[in-house]
Amino acid sequence: MRILLVEDDDLLAAGIRDTLERALYAVEWVPDGAQALAALKSNTFDLVVLDLGLPKVDGVEVLRKVRGEGGAVPVIVLSARDTASDRVLGLDAGADDYLIKPFDVDELLARVRAQLRRQRGAAVNVIEHGPLRLDPAALTVTFEGQPVALQRREFMLLQKLLQSAGQVLSRAQLEDALYGWDSGVESNSVDVHIHKLRRKLYPEVIRTVRGVGYVADPPPPGAQA
Amino acid sequence: MSVGAPRRARSIRAVLLAGTIATLLAVLGVAAWMSFEGSAEEAQELFDARLATSARVLEAFLARQVEHATVAAPIVIQLPGPIEAAEHDAPRTEGHYYETKIAFQVWNADRHLLVRSASAPGTPFAPLVAGYSDQDFENVEWRVFTLPSGSLWIQVAERSDIRTELSGKLAYAAAEPLVIGIPVLLVLLGLLIGYGLAPLGKLAQQIETRQADALTPVSLPRVPAEIAPVLDALNGLLGRLTSALERERRFTADAAHELRTPLAGLKVHAQNAARAGSPAERQASLDRMLVALDRTIHLAEQMLAYNRASASAAPEHEPVSLRQLAGEAFEALQPRIGARGLKVTVMCAPANGTAEVQGDRQKLASLVGNLLDNAARYAPAGSAIDVVLREDRGAVTLEVVDEGPGIAEELRARVFESYYRIPGANDAGSGLGLAIVREVARAHGARVEIRGGRGGKGTAVVVTFPGQ
Repeated sequence: MRILLVEDDDLLAAGIRDTLERALYAVEWVPDGAQALAALKSNTFDLVVLDLGLPKVDGVEVLRKVRGEGGAVPVIVLSARDTASDRVLGLDAGADDYLIKPFDVDELLARVRAQLRRQRGAAVNVIEHGPLRLDPAALTVTFEGQPVALQRREFMLLQKLLQSAGQVLSRAQLEDALYGWDSGVESNSVDVHIHKLRRKLYPEVIRTVRGVGYVADPPPPGAQA
Repeated sequence: MSVGAPRRARSIRAVLLAGTIATLLAVLGVAAWMSFEGSAEEAQELFDARLATSARVLEAFLARQVEHATVAAPIVIQLPGPIEAAEHDAPRTEGHYYETKIAFQVWNADRHLLVRSASAPGTPFAPLVAGYSDQDFENVEWRVFTLPSGSLWIQVAERSDIRTELSGKLAYAAAEPLVIGIPVLLVLLGLLIGYGLAPLGKLAQQIETRQADALTPVSLPRVPAEIAPVLDALNGLLGRLTSALERERRFTADAAHELRTPLAGLKVHAQNAARAGSPAERQASLDRMLVALDRTIHLAEQMLAYNRASASAAPEHEPVSLRQLAGEAFEALQPRIGARGLKVTVMCAPANGTAEVQGDRQKLASLVGNLLDNAARYAPAGSAIDVVLREDRGAVTLEVVDEGPGIAEELRARVFESYYRIPGANDAGSGLGLAIVREVARAHGARVEIRGGRGGKGTAVVVTFPGQ
């Protein structure tokens, strides 16, 4: 899951980035509205956390532009302005949710999960996929009721594939989901992680679409564990 | 020591009324008394003159005829008595009520009574000495005029009680308007004082019925010259209160807004540290939290400094050496200057000058400190910062020149706005440094200007204190 964080205060941005990355989201941070618009144009994000008081292009302006161009990405707005009219302004400009600074980290994460769940058209956070069960809050995966130990990148890849179950994702899209985790001892090769996932879970969990990418096929009805 | 409510002074209306009444009564009373006395005296003079006239008439028409007569018994002449009428004062065909009862005697040189009026006695009214005298005769006071005429003595007398009554009436008539005028005058004065003081009452009523937050100027339909200064002073005070209140309101609103982001940062770092999955993660979050805490503390201090600097209170005035302040600011910033390898030079022209200005030491220290802090914050590591002080015919110039990124021409006015931060600046300051500089400069009548640094590179902030 890839999140765009738009926040001009570098220290707050660093904190939110820590929070989201520790919850196994890939985060890209930009400090102003102009860069936010550029990032949204050239990349796909699963969610945007947007500060309203931004230099160069105001947050509300960013929202209007994105929505005006048909962008449907879920947006959670952060604002230091706490009056009802400010909230209405933000929501009317196209925000899906609104958080007032200072906010609670758990609440931010809960709202991120809620937005991603809604995007899936689900009513609960936990993703049930055949014999698989992925809990984005607890960061756990079970196979036929048994916990499976996954590496961070494996979890991130699986979450991305299950979030878009039935949809073929290109290798580049999957690499984006790992953005920010490209350093360290773990290999960055998507193919390697897919291979490990198949081994740890079951081979059919992810299907290769030759020349295009990978897909997590929706499980046949009644296949739940 | 506690200060009680001030003792209520007597009301202006009461003081004015009592004072005017007392003064009027005294002055008009004396005037009436003087008028009465004067009129009475004049009346006596008039009566005396008339007495003399009567004597002369007698002399002319009667005395000459009898000058050489020898009479066994004096001739008695019957004179009509005074008119006793119910209607006083008015002249009538038969005479006047004010006619006095006159008696006379004519004596020859041998002291023989030749002629007398019926009302006169047979003995002399008075010793035969020329002139006026008062005599007692048959228990009645008489005014007597004795006129020597050749060998004769003519004595004319008039009853004093009637004279006194008449002169009293005359004097009373003269004093009467004054006596009647006093109460009328007092009533009119009371009304006038009431009318004159009405604007004061209106003013009090206006102030009394005001809400605590209604600081609009007080206005009166009629503003007398005496109340105008009070009203002007009051409205001046209300104006200053309004701007002070507005400033406080803005300060509170700004503080609430500007503190939200750093507080949000602090909270996120704290929660991240608390939820950290590893000691390394915890340490990273705690380190960030400390940086955020320092920045928040700096912001809070700058907010207070800005609030103090923009307060309208007149700054303390004492001689302050900018050179000394620059030295102190340098000392305070030494850790950052040292860590970033900055080369700070303080120059003074003339070389032994102290660059002394009149002003508030604390506020001026804040001005110098913020300029140097900005330079040390944005100048690249290892670059030079020059603090140049110049004394020129009483004017003092402070110039802080750095080799930093500079401030674009179009932003040079905006950077003085409170909470304005240049987009993309590499170090998030409070956004108040130059706003504080501007406010302190304004309070000291100094001018602040931003120019390009040496060769157009970097920034030069120039503060000019005009000669005092």
